[in-house]
Amino acid sequence: MIEEFEARFGPILEKRTLGEKKALYTIMARPEDFQNMVRSLLAGQNVRLFTMVGTDERAVEDAFSITYWFADTSKGELLGVRLYVPEDKPVFPSVAQFHRGALWFEREVQDLLGVEAEGLPDRRRLILPDDWPEGVYPLREDFKYSESPPGEKRYPYARPPEGTSVHAIGPYHIALDEPAHFRLFVRGEEIVGVDYRGFYSHRGIEKLARGRLNYNQVCFIAERICGICGFCHSTAYAQAIEEAAGIEVPERAEYIRTLLLELERLHSHLLWVGVAAHLVGFDTAFMEVWRIRERVMWLAERLTGNRKTYGLVVVGGVRRDLLDYRRELVERELDVMRREFNDVVEFLLSSGGFVKRCEGVGVLSKEKARAWDACGPVARASGVDYDVRRDFPYAAYRDLSFEVPVETEGDVLARATVRIEEVRQSISLIEQILDAMPGGGILADFGDIPEGAEGISAVEAPRGENVHYILAGDRNTIYRWRVKAATYNNLQTVPDMLVGYTIADAPLIIASIDPCYSCTERVQVVDIESGKSKVVRLGVGICR
Amino acid sequence: MTKAYPFEPEEAPPEYRGIPRIDPVLCIGCGACANACPPNAILRIDDPENGTRRIVLDVGRCIRCARCEEVCPTGAVRLTAEFEAATDDRNDHVEIVELRLARCRGCGKYTCYTERQVEKVLSLIPRGILDFDRVREKLPLCSECKLKLTVLNATKFGEVEP
Repeated sequence: MIEEFEARFGPILEKRTLGEKKALYTIMARPEDFQNMVRSLLAGQNVRLFTMVGTDERAVEDAFSITYWFADTSKGELLGVRLYVPEDKPVFPSVAQFHRGALWFEREVQDLLGVEAEGLPDRRRLILPDDWPEGVYPLREDFKYSESPPGEKRYPYARPPEGTSVHAIGPYHIALDEPAHFRLFVRGEEIVGVDYRGFYSHRGIEKLARGRLNYNQVCFIAERICGICGFCHSTAYAQAIEEAAGIEVPERAEYIRTLLLELERLHSHLLWVGVAAHLVGFDTAFMEVWRIRERVMWLAERLTGNRKTYGLVVVGGVRRDLLDYRRELVERELDVMRREFNDVVEFLLSSGGFVKRCEGVGVLSKEKARAWDACGPVARASGVDYDVRRDFPYAAYRDLSFEVPVETEGDVLARATVRIEEVRQSISLIEQILDAMPGGGILADFGDIPEGAEGISAVEAPRGENVHYILAGDRNTIYRWRVKAATYNNLQTVPDMLVGYTIADAPLIIASIDPCYSCTERVQVVDIESGKSKVVRLGVGICR
Repeated sequence: MTKAYPFEPEEAPPEYRGIPRIDPVLCIGCGACANACPPNAILRIDDPENGTRRIVLDVGRCIRCARCEEVCPTGAVRLTAEFEAATDDRNDHVEIVELRLARCRGCGKYTCYTERQVEKVLSLIPRGILDFDRVREKLPLCSECKLKLTVLNATKFGEVEP
C-alpha cells in the first residue's frame, strides 16, 4: 500500500516515517487531491480505514489538522494522510460520501473541532449533548476543560417513512446495559428503518488528558474507558507512548501483558455468551456460563489485585510480576475452565431454542461489513479475515501460534460461534505463554517523551480493534490522544443488521455486536444533588 | 456456590488492592500521593491563614490503583483488603488528615510545608557530610524569605549570615 501510494502521490507530499511499515504523509499544497488519494487507498483489497484524528494545531501550524489512518491488513502497513485545514475556512472534502465508514469520524470532528466536511451525508450532531450551544467546540485549545456553556435543547431526529410508526429502544431499556437510543421505524412487527442517537455517556476523556493528566496517569484513566476491555485500552495507550518515545519494553512484561489480554478476552466472551443466552430466555445456560466467568474474574483478582485486571499497565512495562505460585493458579484454573466450558457449550448449542433464535437473524453481509469497517468477531462472522493480533502483531503475539476463526454466514449464530472458538484459542494461548515465559525485568527505564513525537497502536480487544493515537506535547504531557474503540465501527453496522427483522429480535441483534457504549463515547461531571452538569475544578494542592 | 454473603464474611485474596487508608501518625503531609493520584481522589489543601494542611482522601473517587502507596515516602498510605464501600452518606467516604504548617523563621508567616516535613528532612540529613546547622537555619523559611536570603547570599558572596 505504501509503495503504490508513494509511486502515485509521493512527490507532491511531505513524508514522515513513524517506524517500520508505518508512514505519515502531509498534504501542504493541494487539498483537492485529497479525495483521489483516499479513493485510491480504499480501492485496495485489504485496506481499511483505521482511525481518524482531528487536532487543533493552531498554535504551531495556524491550522487544524485532519489525519486519516489507513491499514493494509495483508501487509501489516499503516499509512496516514494528513490534511491541514485553515482556521478561517475550516472545510475539507468529505470521505463519507463514498466510504460510509468515515461517517462518524467526520461528524465527530465537526462536533468537537468545528471543522466541516463538505458533502457529508448526515450533518446532524453526533457527540455533543442536545442542549450544547452552536459554535462552541470543546476540543479546541481555547476551550477550557472546566467550561459548560448553556444552550437550548434540540435534536433533529430522522422522520419515519410513510406508513410506519416509531418504536423506541432506549435511552433506558431492559435489554440495554448502557444508555443508547435506537428509534426503530416499524411496519407492524417488521423493522424498516433505524435512527440511532447515542453518546449519552461521553466523558471527554481526550480533553481530560490534555487538561490535567501527565502521561503516566493516563494509563489508569484509559482503563476506565471500558468496563470490560479496560486492559486493552491501557495497553494500546502504553504501546502508542512507547512507540512515540522509543521505549523498549522488556520481553517478560510483554508476555505478562499478553497473558492478561487473553484472560480479558475469556472474561468478555463468556460474559457475551451468557448475555446472549439470557436474551433468548435460556437462563440456565446464562447462569452456567457466568459461573465459569467467575473463575476468570477470581483469577484476575489473584494476578492483578482487581477483579477487572485494573491498574497493571504503566508506560514501559507492567507493575506486578507473574510469580511461581500465580502461575500454578493459572494452570489449575485453566484445566477446570476448559472442561467446564466445553460442557456448557455443548449444553447451549444442543438447545434448539437458542440455535433457532440466532440462526439467520441479523445478517450482515461481507460487503456491508467492509463498507462500515467492522472489526472483531462481527467482521469475522461476516467473512472478513482480519485480526490485529495476527496482522499487526504486538506484545508477544509474534512468538505464539493461534488460529483466527472466520465464519461466512454473518448472522448472530456465526458471531456466537466465532466467540466460542476464540475462547478455546485464548485458553491455548495462555498455556503457550506460561510455557514460553522469559525471565528478566518487567519495567523499562526511560527518559522524557520528545515533544511532537507521534505514536499509533492497536490492540485486538474482545470486540475488535482499539486504536490509540498519541501526539506528545511539551513537558511530558499529551497534546492529542485519540481513542477509537471497536464498538465505534461495529455500532454503525447495527441499523443495517436490524432492517428486515422483527422487534422481538432487536435486543438480540443489538447485543450480538457486544456493544460497549462507554467505550465508544469516551467530559462531563454531573452534580448529583442539583442535577446540573458542570465540571468540578480540583486543584492538586494549593500551595501559597 | 451461593453464600449468605452479608452475614457470612467474604475475604479478599492477599493480592487484592482494596480501599486505601492513611495512617495519620506516619503521614507528613508532603502531598506526593496527591500528585500521583490519577483520578484526584487525594487532594492537598492548604489553609495558610490558620496554618493547617489537610490531606483529603475521597474513597468514592478512588480507583484502587495503589499509585499513592508506591510514592508515599513514609509508608503512611496503605491499600487494605477491605472492599465494602457502600454507604448512604457520601461524606463517609472522605478521610482527612490535618497537619500543622511550619512557621517561617524569617517573617513568622506559615510556610507551604508542614512541621512533620521539616522533621523528616532533618532526620534524613546525614550528620557530618552536610553542614547540619546551616540547613537547620534555612529550613523553616517561607518561599519569599528563602528568595530574599538567596539574593542576599548571592550579592554578598562568601558571607553566611544575611
